[in-house]
Formats: sequence, structure tokens, C-alpha cells
Amino acid sequence: MNRGQQEYYKRDYAQAKLEGKPFFPYAVYKDLLIATLAIGLVIGMAIWHRVEIGEPVNPASTDFVPRPEWYFFFLFELLKIFKGQNVFMPVIMATFIVPNILMVLLIATPFIDRGPERRIQKRPIALFTGIAVIAFLAYMTHLGASSNEGVGSEGLPLTGLDEKGQAGADLFLANGCTACHNVAGVGAPGPGPNLTNLGSQGQTPQYWGEFIQDPPGGVMPSFTTFTPQQYDEIGTFLAGLGTTYK
Amino acid sequence: MATTDIGPKNPAVKAGEAAFDYVDKRTGVKTGAKWFMFRNIPAETSWFQTLGFTAMALFGMQAITGIILAMYYKPDPNSAFQSVEVITNEVTWGWLVRGMHKWGASAMIVVVFLHLGRVFFFGSYKYPRELTWVTGAILLIMTMFMGLTGYLLVWDQKAYWATVVAVNITASAPIIGPYIADILRAGPEFGPETLSRFYSIHMLVIPGGMATFIGLHLFLISKLGIAEPPYSKRRMAVERAEEEARRAAENERLPYGRREVPAVAPATPEPQKVEGAS
Ligand code: HEM
Repeated sequence: MNRGQQEYYKRDYAQAKLEGKPFFPYAVYKDLLIATLAIGLVIGMAIWHRVEIGEPVNPASTDFVPRPEWYFFFLFELLKIFKGQNVFMPVIMATFIVPNILMVLLIATPFIDRGPERRIQKRPIALFTGIAVIAFLAYMTHLGASSNEGVGSEGLPLTGLDEKGQAGADLFLANGCTACHNVAGVGAPGPGPNLTNLGSQGQTPQYWGEFIQDPPGGVMPSFTTFTPQQYDEIGTFLAGLGTTYK
Repeated sequence: MATTDIGPKNPAVKAGEAAFDYVDKRTGVKTGAKWFMFRNIPAETSWFQTLGFTAMALFGMQAITGIILAMYYKPDPNSAFQSVEVITNEVTWGWLVRGMHKWGASAMIVVVFLHLGRVFFFGSYKYPRELTWVTGAILLIMTMFMGLTGYLLVWDQKAYWATVVAVNITASAPIIGPYIADILRAGPEFGPETLSRFYSIHMLVIPGGMATFIGLHLFLISKLGIAEPPYSKRRMAVERAEEEARRAAENERLPYGRREVPAVAPATPEPQKVEGAS
């Protein structure tokens, strides 16, 4: 808005106030009504849907499904899109770049859209952006809500599992790895990469055993409570995925 | 003064009034409250303009239920989970207070997003209300961080590991990420201190910030006045009158009886003379 348009708005708003009504009671009654309804709804939900409590924390057991509150699903889903498949999809897009761009755009909205028009039907760009953002958030939240949780309890559809490999596969399932990784069609499609052909990278079992103690990239939790034998088992399992075990 | 003093007043009333006057003379609170409550706002305000107040009411409800929960909650890794169990299963109405706090968090997120939507679609963030929007956007971010920090406090598996992932994500941010993660975790690893740190962030740091920013938000709103819905009857009438005046001025500028050929096609086509036919 240029100077003249600002002056025009101020004059017009002063006129609106002059022809207006007092805040009390004309706006107050509406505010109180809707706020009371909202709080009533919350109390109703609290009675209808009793709060639950899950399993107590056990940092040693990683048998978990790390699920955030529903209003973070859209960020969580970003991790499944950008999971470092190639240079164009780096994980940092989901963990840092996209969320921060969204945040900056949100804060900067009034400085980006400075036109004088306030009626939405005459602001096509704003209308389109608004609908696109709502659709994006709704879609991502829906994806997050409908992504499968406790997967892999039936076992992994792999052949060639020897004793060590089977022990590693059991550890893999018991420690909730499938909450983030997919192996041969079992497990979540993300946030972590698909591990079906991990063995084709040609790393040793020791390498993978050490890898899970301190995973690089920072997003994956560390698994530090296994016994040396268990590290060997899960390392062997991971190193053979797609080559020995397929 | 004298004309309204038509009889002796009850001394209690007199003392009360004197006390009010005493405070008002020194703080202006009565005058301020009167101004706030009875100032004019545009005649037509929409029902959508109640959402900000609803968000504020929910914030108040979260504060009250949160205070009650804090009376029973123990921010210690060995007893946190158990204290939540006690609140849920033993404390009188405890399940209700905890349920309200939990559902209230979701409700607040929903209402704040709806409020943002109404401000966006009404164009209410435009001049002179840009900074109101900025304080609001910061409130939204703080509301989400309330959800994030509160989630861990229940100390159950799902929340614990989701928070581990969230903090790992923070740590992966360039340059300052690792430092912020260390501050959140109270060290390089998740440990006993992490819980009390999240507790203090959840119930002191962010609520303090939110109260401050709600104050700023409200100050700006009452100073600038609530925006008029862009489709109000008054605004539509102004728009029509302006359009008519513009047309009239355009017509007047043209010499009588002659019409210029407009450069672009006119909105309403001129009646065409059919010459050849007659
Ligand atoms: C905790 C969160 C928030 C609270 C408690 C809150 C509270 C309020 C209240 C009480 C109003 C008065 C008018 C109304 O109810 O619509 C208001 C107006 C406003 N809010 Fe918020 N708000 C919050 C979040 C936000 C967010 C996220 C934004 C946008 C990014 C925002 C931007 C605005 C603007 C620009 C106005 C002025 C609108 C006008 O004058 O018509 N607020 N807010």
C-alpha cells in the first residue's frame, strides 16, 4: 500500500468506527458464546475419550513407534519424502530447510502481500496460496494419521536366513526398526531409507554394528544397549540384506 | 457532583467508592477499562472474529488445568510416569483435568490455525496490522512448542522416542543445531536432567513468552481496532458510491454528445447502431 492508500484506509476505518457499536456488549457476547462452546467441547471430549497412558519409558528397550502428536504429522511426513535417496532429496530439506522456509513465509506474509485489496475474491494469489497451504497441511496430516503403526509382527518375508541372520531379523523387528524402515515390503515407508538392498553396499557386519550405535545424520536414535553378540547378529543381518537374505 | 448527591449514602458504599477512586486516580484503571469495554468497533463484526478470543480462553484453561496437574506431577524420571498414573486413576477428577489439558492442547492448535485462516482470508494483516500478525505468528510457533515439550512429560514410550527423534532433528540443523539440542537435552544424551529441563521449558519458559506476546498482540489489537470484515454492508456501500462517482467523473470529462472509443473493451458493451440495415 502506498501512502495515499494508507491514508485512505485510516480515514475509512475511522468512519467505520464512527458508525460502529461499542465493543461491550456487541462483540463480547459473541466472544463469550464461542469460547464457552469451545471449552464445553473440550470438557465433552475429555469425558467421552478418557485419556490413556502408554508403556512407561524404558530407554533400554527401543521397542517403540515414535509417533508425534497429530499436529506434527505434516513435518513427520516431510521426513518420509526427503530421506536422502539422492542429492536432490537430502534429509536436511525435511529437518531444516522446508520447516524454516514455512516459518519465515508465515511471519513475513504481511510484508510480502502489501496490496490494498482485502476482499478475498479479488486477491487471486492469496486465495490460491491459502487453499494450497490448507490442502497441503490436510493431505500431509492425513498421510501421517493413516500410516501403519505396528508393522512386521508376522516376520520378514526373507529367504536364506541362517541362524545368525534370523537372530538379527528378530532384533530388527523387536527394536522397532520397522517404524521407520522398510525391508522387503514390511515396515513404514519412512522416515528412514528402505533397507531391502542394504547388503549391496558391501559393508561388513562390524560396520553396521557400529553404525547403529551412533548413526550419522543425527535423525535416527542410537542403539547402545545391545550385547556384542547382538551387534554381530544385527550387523550380519543388515550386511546380508538383498544379497544373502532376500 | 452536587446535583446527583440527593441523600446520605450508605457509609459502606462511600468507602467502596472512595477506594475505587483512590486506585483510579493513581492508575487510571477504571478509565482504561471503561475505554476498553465501551470503545466503538465497526458495526458489523463476523462470528469468525471470535476465534482469537477463543484461543485466548483456551490458553487460560490450559494454564489453570496445567497448574492443577503441576500440583501432582513429579518431574523425575523415576516417578514421572507413576505420578501421571496417579493423576489419571486416583486423584479426584484427575482424569478430567488431565483430559482437558490434553484435549485443550489439540483444541488450541485447531482454533489458532482457524484464527490465522480468518485473519488471512479477511486480509486483516494488511496496513496497519502487520505487526499484530507477526506477534500472532510467533504465538502460533510457541503454541506448537508447548505441544512438543508437553508430550515428553507423560514419560511413556511413544512420547519419549518421538521426542528423541525431534531433538535429534534439532541437532542436525547446521551450526547452532547441536548447541540447541544440548540445551534441550541438558547434555549430549537424553538423561534424567532432560525431563526436568523439558518440564521447566513447558511450564515456565514458553508460557511466560506466550503471556508476553498475547499482551503485545492485545495491545496492538485494541490500539488499532479490530478490522472491519471486507464484505460489510457499509464497505460495500462505500465501494458502490466510489464506483458511481468515478463513472460520473469520467462522463463529465467527455464533451457532451460525443463518445471516445475506449482503448480497451468496455465492461458493458455500448449499444450498437445498426446502420446498413435500415
Ligand atoms: C495463541 C495464539 C493467539 C491468540 C491468543 C490470539 C488472540 C487474538 C485476539 C483476541 C484477537 C482479536 C480479534 C479476533 O478475535 O479475531 C486477535 C486478532 C488478530 N490476530 Fe491473533 N491470536 C493468536 C494467534 C494469531 C496468529 C497465529 C496470527 C497470524 C499469524 C494472528 C494474527 C492476528 C491479527 C493480524 C489480528 C488482528 C485482526 C483484526 O484486527 O481484525 N493471531 N488475535
